[in-house]
Amino acid sequence: MANSIVALRAYGDGLHLIIRPHLSIAEVEAAIQQEISRMNRSLAGTSVQIDLKSPTLKEEEIELLSSKLQETYDLTVRGVEVADEPIAPPIAAAPTTHIISQTTDTRPSRDSELSRIVPNTIRSGQTEEFPQGSLIIYGDVNSGGEVKAGGDIVVLGTLRGSAYAGMNGRLSAVIIAMDFAPLKLQIGNYVNRSSVNQQPRGYPEIARIGAEDVIIVEKFVKF
Amino acid sequence: MGKVIVVTSGKGGVGKTTSTANLGTALALLGKTVVVVDADVGLRNLDIVMGLESRIVYTSMDVIEKQCELSKALVRDRRVDGLMLLAASQKNNKDDIQPEQMKAICDKLRTAHDFVLVDSPAGIERGFSNASAGADEAIVVTTPDVSAIRDADRIIGLLQNARIEPINLVLNRFSPELVGNGSMMDQADVLDILNINLIGVVPEDSGVITSTNRGIPLVYEDGSPGAQAYMRIARRLTGQRIPIHDFEQKGLFSNILNWFTRKR
Ligand SMILES: Nc1ncnc2c1ncn2[C@@H]1O[C@H](COP(=O)(O)OP(=O)(O)O)[C@@H](O)[C@H]1O
Ligand SMILES: [Mg+2]
Repeated sequence: MANSIVALRAYGDGLHLIIRPHLSIAEVEAAIQQEISRMNRSLAGTSVQIDLKSPTLKEEEIELLSSKLQETYDLTVRGVEVADEPIAPPIAAAPTTHIISQTTDTRPSRDSELSRIVPNTIRSGQTEEFPQGSLIIYGDVNSGGEVKAGGDIVVLGTLRGSAYAGMNGRLSAVIIAMDFAPLKLQIGNYVNRSSVNQQPRGYPEIARIGAEDVIIVEKFVKF
Repeated sequence: MGKVIVVTSGKGGVGKTTSTANLGTALALLGKTVVVVDADVGLRNLDIVMGLESRIVYTSMDVIEKQCELSKALVRDRRVDGLMLLAASQKNNKDDIQPEQMKAICDKLRTAHDFVLVDSPAGIERGFSNASAGADEAIVVTTPDVSAIRDADRIIGLLQNARIEPINLVLNRFSPELVGNGSMMDQADVLDILNINLIGVVPEDSGVITSTNRGIPLVYEDGSPGAQAYMRIARRLTGQRIPIHDFEQKGLFSNILNWFTRKR
């Protein structure tokens, strides 16, 4: 493990910066620098969710860290979460492998899913269902049509009907469409009604479960 | 060998019967032999729109029950050569006919006529399966409103499942003025959703109602915008390569023309 204090992980809802128990803020900053330089692509313009594995950073320290991330790496912090777990001993004694397996393996993963390509538009009254994994639609999903997937749903056209991703409970599942004007969105057991019936905005959008346990829809830039 | 084309929509009242009557007549005016078939058993009205209701003796039900020969059940339209109507029974209902029986009738008509146009009832049930059973191609009629479009979309899916193609779209009751002031979907929006070939756009035309009441299809009066639209569709059905809109025509379609020059 190249870096035991911080780790960058991509989940369905975007990048997470995981900060594990540590000794000082300076140590955290150094670890972040090391972790980011390890990535061979720029993170500029993206956002991260900070997952604190123990509440060792003070509020001012988090603020300072956020502004440094913004200034130095053009990374926006979209949320901070303190993991609900007992405070672990400092890094020297921390069983990092255990923590890593916790951050990756507790969620059903995208890696183990299959995907299916549907080479046509889903019209009113038609349903395409694929509980084994993700669906990629080479067409539109029209009003009155329905797509359901165990994993993600990608519509390479306009989504006007209803889409239900993560139907087996994978809450990191996302719904992406080139044009977004759905009648109903569902991820796991979360249902979205607020962004439905919107006019397509002319750019791709992504729906995922956000910080406040609601489905949020935003411009899709990259995965 | 002729073609059997089902005229259908899903939603009622969007202009299937009007389109069947006018396209049938227009094709006959272009010199084709045509049979228009009313598949709206129990709620027939193609005969009224064609002005032939008083001359009906036999219906498709009589043919199926072998009460008469198919050729004897066809009512000849005396106003134009080569146009005939096969009426639906008014006292039966849709379940009294099987899809195979409709198919047998269409197969027989196809051998002796250039075009067989089948006027479908509304809905996606038995009436629709009867009307589409013998079809080679389909014309889907819709008006530019969301509920008619959603039903058209449903029907297109069913037609595709039945491997009926091509499926051509007629956009009916289109009003450039309403599109212009933003209260009606434009042609591009409708095509974006339905994604099938557009064969014609028929404007909202008050002449349609008077022609229905008089039993004289609009295409007999070639001055009206609706008549011109139906004549253009008929010509496209015979394989002529003419544009959807007559851009020479001033006024009515000028908004569409503007739209094209603005966006393309
Ligand atoms: N282009 C049009 N302009 C004005 N009225 C129309 C037009 N097309 C159809 N109508 C009217 O709409 C009503 C329904 O038409 P009809 O052909 O009977 O529909 P359907 O067979 O699909 O139920 C009729 O009263 C008809 O006169
Ligand atoms: Mg009708």
